[in-house]
Amino acid sequence: MRRFILGEFTEPDACVEAVRRLREEGVGGLDAHSPYPLHGMDDALALPRSKVPIVALTGGVLGALGGYTLQWYLNSKAYPINVGSRPPHGFWTNIPITFESGVLIAVLSIFFGSIFGFFALPRTYHPLFESERFRTASLDAYWISAETSDEDAVPELEKKFREVGAHKVHSVVESV
Amino acid sequence: MRTRRCAGCTKTSAATICCTSWERGRAPPLVPLPLIEGSQDDGTLNKSLNAYVWQPPQRGWLALFLIGLAGTGVLFSAIAITIAKGIGMWGNNIPVGWAFGIINFVWWIGIGHAGTLISAILLLFQQKWRTSINRFAEAMTLFAVMQAGLFPILHTGRPWFAIYWLFPYPSTNSIWPQFKSPLMWDVFAVSTYFITSLLFWYLGLIPDLASLRDSSSSKRARIAYGIFALGWRGSARHWHHYKIAYLLLAGLATPLVLSVHTIVSWDFALSILPGWHTTIFPPYFVAGAVFSGFAMVMTLMIPARRYMKLKHVITARHLESMAKVMLLTGLIVFYGYLMEHFAAWYSGNLYEEHVFFSTRPRGPYAWAYFTQMFCNVVVPQMFWTRWARRNVWTLWIGSVLVNVGMWFERFNIVVTSLHQDFIPSNWAMYYPTWVDFSLLFGTICFFGTLFLVFLKFIPAVATSEVKELNHELHEGGGMSELEGARP
Repeated sequence: MRRFILGEFTEPDACVEAVRRLREEGVGGLDAHSPYPLHGMDDALALPRSKVPIVALTGGVLGALGGYTLQWYLNSKAYPINVGSRPPHGFWTNIPITFESGVLIAVLSIFFGSIFGFFALPRTYHPLFESERFRTASLDAYWISAETSDEDAVPELEKKFREVGAHKVHSVVESV
Repeated sequence: MRTRRCAGCTKTSAATICCTSWERGRAPPLVPLPLIEGSQDDGTLNKSLNAYVWQPPQRGWLALFLIGLAGTGVLFSAIAITIAKGIGMWGNNIPVGWAFGIINFVWWIGIGHAGTLISAILLLFQQKWRTSINRFAEAMTLFAVMQAGLFPILHTGRPWFAIYWLFPYPSTNSIWPQFKSPLMWDVFAVSTYFITSLLFWYLGLIPDLASLRDSSSSKRARIAYGIFALGWRGSARHWHHYKIAYLLLAGLATPLVLSVHTIVSWDFALSILPGWHTTIFPPYFVAGAVFSGFAMVMTLMIPARRYMKLKHVITARHLESMAKVMLLTGLIVFYGYLMEHFAAWYSGNLYEEHVFFSTRPRGPYAWAYFTQMFCNVVVPQMFWTRWARRNVWTLWIGSVLVNVGMWFERFNIVVTSLHQDFIPSNWAMYYPTWVDFSLLFGTICFFGTLFLVFLKFIPAVATSEVKELNHELHEGGGMSELEGARP
């Protein structure tokens, strides 16, 4: 049974600062929720460098290689067409499509890699949405959350949340 | 040094004006207009930017929507006739084998380019004025590329075969496309462009769909927006990747958009026809695309910001910046025209000279040539004056004329070059048919209909990004008038 302690803030900077303090105090499973990315939050959560660029580069390189190979194979092996005695394999004329396929696969891997991989979306349910008030997280409030499976740790965490300045603290439990 | 009394205050100084006109209640000459008007916070922005989605459709919207649907009906009838009877229903014939289909294709693709420019290139250049208009412009890109895509597919005559004529599709015939043709490159460029624009737009939309889900009052709306928001919960761990993903998509869209119109121009430039066979085509086409695209954004945005009550986030500053981009790209296009003519004269080639100095300015389509020159060269010059850049009427009329001018530019490139080529015995006039006109008119209506649906169901301004910008502007503190002046 997953439990989340939620704390609401009205000011973004206070929210970032609170996350930093909680992390330094050793609170695990921390996350923050805001309508837009908050400045300094990556630092406060001590997040490692994002791997999206690696995914993009891999996709781009594979796409470009695939695009080139496709053109080379189809035009010089599978179905060579003689146009004015030009060689069937034209390096320069293959460049535009190689570029386009590189971009296409890079874009697809960034988008689907982010959605399915990094965000683990789409999902129809998340325990946080048990709290009706949490809906302001996409509108005009800044939230922090901490996940715990230990029911006894909840009061202690709630107290910590209040100490760092959350003006509204409550906890939600995953409904099974 | 002579001292004078300032007209605006009681101080005396060397200059006639010591206190700025700003202090007297007018915007000073060198201080840009605000990006977001009035004092806004997340709550008021949420309300005002999403208001149009939540209110019931207005009569004006419904009337336009019905007109759009009727026009879309015309489009689909024209498509049905084209498919049933063949492209003989169009006015194309030898020597003018390419006509309205390609003109409209290039025109629509060009219009789309402003969306990518605003959303991607201005993001990379950290131009803050892009933030309120990027969603709008990206939607325009998507819908414009959809219209553009129709024409090459219809031009194949048998669209149901187009899939294996255009894409490397493994059929039992074992026939494969010829990748040395710019037309083939075009297929890859345009489809990559459409997919990239769609995904970039959708990624930007996810936080706003979540905000619509969370501010909805009915269960139906909550479920509907909830499905499209994919369960987004604004997690900092997600934003961490999201920011990079968004930036990378912008970084990829930037060379992509340049490549797309470059490749479109190669459709022409790689042939040997006088009027097409020019090295200036790629940059000149890209500039023309951005020019017409900004004109279309302006045409749509001026009425939309008024009726959707978005003047506080799409301010005179945005319109002025767009007018400046139009002026700049208009000048690049003008340079392209000059260079085409210069190269024709300098080459000493009889056929080149014939196109640029006889056929276009003095031939039977001279009226189209002068329409193009007037709309694309003369009209944008008014944007040198601040008055014209800040007056919605001059902006709107100017932008409509630019759109007309850019359509005629493509008409001149395609039809005028083709109708009188090398051998006079081969010359013939081109006359579009009613099916041609219906397709052009129909795509405009279809585009408008899609746009109206977008305005009604999705916030036309990127709410999440405007909130972030608003927050950034307030962090500066103090000189509110100057905020947003620097990137």
